[in-house]
Amino acid sequence: MANKVIYEVRNVSKNYGAVVALDGASLKLHAGEVVGLVGDNGAGKSTLVKVLSGAHSPDSGEILLEGVTKVWHNPKQALDEGIETLYQDSGLAQHLTVSQNVFLGREKFLKGIFGKLGFLARKQMELEAEADLQAVGIAFPSSNRPVSQLSGGQRQAVAIGRAVSWARKVLILDEPTNHLGARQSGEVLEVIKRAKKKGLGVIFISHTLPHVLEVTDRIVVLRLGKIVRDAPTSEYTADTLIGTITGSYHGDEN
Amino acid sequence: MNKRILSVGMAALAVAGLTLGATGCASTKKLTIAFVMGAESDPFFQAMKVGATAEAKAEGVDLIWQGDPSHYDVATQVPIVDNVIAQKPDGLVLIPTDPTGLQASSDKAVAAGIAVANVDTHTADTSKAIITITGDNADGGAKAADAIAGAIGYTAGKSYQVVVGLTSATATTNVGRYDGFKAQVKSKYPGIKIVDVAYSAANPQTANSNVNNWLTKYPNLSGIFAIDGTNASGAAAALQAKNLVGKIALVGYDAYPANVDLLKQGVFTALIAQDPAEEARLAIKTLVDYIKNGTKPSSHDVVIANVTLDKNTSDADFTKYTYVATN
Amino acid sequence: MGNSIQEGQELSFLDKVKASFRNQSTLLVVTLVILAVIFQIASEGIFLSVGTLGTVLNDWGSYILLAVAQTFVVITGGIDLSVGSTVSLSSVVAGWVLVKGMGLDTSISGDAALPYVLIATLVCLLVGLAVGALNAFLINVLKIVPFIATLATMGAMAGMAIIISGGMPLQGPNDFNLGIAYNVFGVELPISSTILTVLIITVIAGLYLHKTRFGLYTYSLGSNPFATRAAGISPARHITKVYMLSGGLAGLAGAYAYIRLGAGSPSNGAGMELYAIAATVIGGVSLMGGVGRIVGVALGTLVLFTVQSGLLMVKVVEVSPSLKQVIVAILIAAAVAVQTLQKNGRK
Repeated sequence: MANKVIYEVRNVSKNYGAVVALDGASLKLHAGEVVGLVGDNGAGKSTLVKVLSGAHSPDSGEILLEGVTKVWHNPKQALDEGIETLYQDSGLAQHLTVSQNVFLGREKFLKGIFGKLGFLARKQMELEAEADLQAVGIAFPSSNRPVSQLSGGQRQAVAIGRAVSWARKVLILDEPTNHLGARQSGEVLEVIKRAKKKGLGVIFISHTLPHVLEVTDRIVVLRLGKIVRDAPTSEYTADTLIGTITGSYHGDEN
Repeated sequence: MNKRILSVGMAALAVAGLTLGATGCASTKKLTIAFVMGAESDPFFQAMKVGATAEAKAEGVDLIWQGDPSHYDVATQVPIVDNVIAQKPDGLVLIPTDPTGLQASSDKAVAAGIAVANVDTHTADTSKAIITITGDNADGGAKAADAIAGAIGYTAGKSYQVVVGLTSATATTNVGRYDGFKAQVKSKYPGIKIVDVAYSAANPQTANSNVNNWLTKYPNLSGIFAIDGTNASGAAAALQAKNLVGKIALVGYDAYPANVDLLKQGVFTALIAQDPAEEARLAIKTLVDYIKNGTKPSSHDVVIANVTLDKNTSDADFTKYTYVATN
Repeated sequence: MGNSIQEGQELSFLDKVKASFRNQSTLLVVTLVILAVIFQIASEGIFLSVGTLGTVLNDWGSYILLAVAQTFVVITGGIDLSVGSTVSLSSVVAGWVLVKGMGLDTSISGDAALPYVLIATLVCLLVGLAVGALNAFLINVLKIVPFIATLATMGAMAGMAIIISGGMPLQGPNDFNLGIAYNVFGVELPISSTILTVLIITVIAGLYLHKTRFGLYTYSLGSNPFATRAAGISPARHITKVYMLSGGLAGLAGAYAYIRLGAGSPSNGAGMELYAIAATVIGGVSLMGGVGRIVGVALGTLVLFTVQSGLLMVKVVEVSPSLKQVIVAILIAAAVAVQTLQKNGRK
């Protein structure tokens, strides 16, 4: 991979009380690269995502963005640096419209005195949200409709479109194809490929291993809080990947 | 206090740590009177506190003043009384929030050798209490009827419309006053018709709305009886806002300084005042006399009448009956 | 609109959404008309009069600021039980400042009283903001759930009001000009400058809830706190603002009560929080958070106090005061039932 390392964690650990959720994990992500993050339930995937997105601080270890050490105190700092995260199942506010969700935390204001008073440029945001989602290449519902009125697939499309359109450096997708049908999953995988072409570093977390094998350049396997294998996707087969996740396959030494 | 303790010498000091019976050491120990009232938030009890504090000071006794901060409720009062009994006062002035609900606590106090007096309200069985002092709500209601009749120039044969602002259907003071008012109207002023009643639920703004609506509903309204302080506030504001002061007779209850002010300005035709301070004074005096000297009051049941304050009341009486806040 | 692949079915769906949003307000207007007709007949033709409308609007003015305050808080998924006590406390403090602090001559009236009225309003606002800040502290820092935190403040502020006032009303400037109706072409309108001020505040609050970022975050917090935080918004900071807004509005309601009654009494706000919550629920605000509109709340408050006044005006049958309470309770239950039906219909 010729591209530079864009995001990196070195030797990060995180405990919740007596539970060791993450135990000295190190990971490098290059620009224009899709890395699959897999592991069984409780392997530490969610914790690693929270550390990468700035939602939780690690107990020890280092986070580097484009070679510069970063300490995230909250998700806002990571967002401001171009790191977008799509969380599993909870990315959208259901009572807000599509465009309100797309622009949440990054609202545009009216020009002049009303804008200074906090009045929002609703129409402008609706149009821009539509354009952004369209550019991402997702079939989306009209942007002034409340999210609660959308189907599960449509919601996921909006959430992914939101993350992709805002991401400048890193895109973290936690189970983006969960609950989606085959056709919609296919659309999501296409979106990931386009994000890669744009030069984003993508971390793709999923239980659906065929999707991981299809779209990633490299796969990192977590087990009991430790990274047990980090190798190019071409070195895995479906069987060896499952074996690595469960611990029944020990890779090279066999 | 120090002088007294010194004067009784070492023997008294030796037993000072022990709990003493009220009779044995009355002359050597400063008396403690506990006073458990209904609800601290009620100005009535605030005024009572003024009387109780003054009398306790005059008699040289310690006063334990207790009661729920805002709820006139048997459920919160019982534990308060039990807690006070545990402090072993010499006397207990009790304002029971419920006649039967507080009977057991009262009996417990008597059994512990504590002299008990009932004020304002009383327990079901008053035989073990030294004295029962009540304000006369029915008499206050009757006096309100007299005041309204006087203000409207009641003439037999004519008919008059009057409304009554209440706080709730169950508040005992409301019931007593309203019954007294109705009885007096029926017997003495048959031309007065009580055309409506409404509840304020203890909020003066609601009382204000009730009166405003009555002013629309009864264009020929002659008088308003505002049965307590809340209703008095709301009714006074309504008449002032509609420029009807002096045109409709308004009789209120409770001599708050603000109400007395409005009476002097002519907004109230009359105010019926209770004398809670006097009730408290009498209760404490009676208990102290009984504990010190064993003298029982000449009458077991004492009723302290309400008074009517109006434009003819003397300044001295205004000073005497206007409620004073404790702060 | 847009290039959605589901364009065909979308228009009808969109219409349904719009219809359901309109529903609560339409329903309330229809309810108001029906109530007006019933009360007009039952009162033998006196209900629809300037006098009654004046009383209804006066009550509306007393409660709408609390209902608006409650709307913001409830949309975030919280509740503020302390608003009634804040009314009591702020009007008592205002009375204390004017009577004891400034030695107000309570017999002054008219224009001379206006500066005192403005001072009282400012004092009430500050007291309200302080109570709101205390609530935010309990919720954000001590992590107490809003119901318990504001319940505690409710008791504490009621107690403070009693301590400061000695349990008795403190008089205010005797300026009932503020309560006098405007006279236009010989017709007396049931609107006073006080009510007009309250109406303007309500409209501004509505614009802020529906048109600004502050309002957007209010909804997003009640809708999905996790997504709100993930979007880089600090929930604690927004909660602080919302509870301070609620306290401030309750303080202004305290000023309204003080002006209306010409007295700062520790019972000025007694029980008001429950009516405010009832008005918001009737107005279509969901206690689950994320849902509600100011127009609905304004109409809901109007419905509630139309019923209160209307029942008193009834002449053809005797409505006992106790029965009134039952009827109001039925109204609230009906409003919640309608909400549930609307919600299920949408799904």
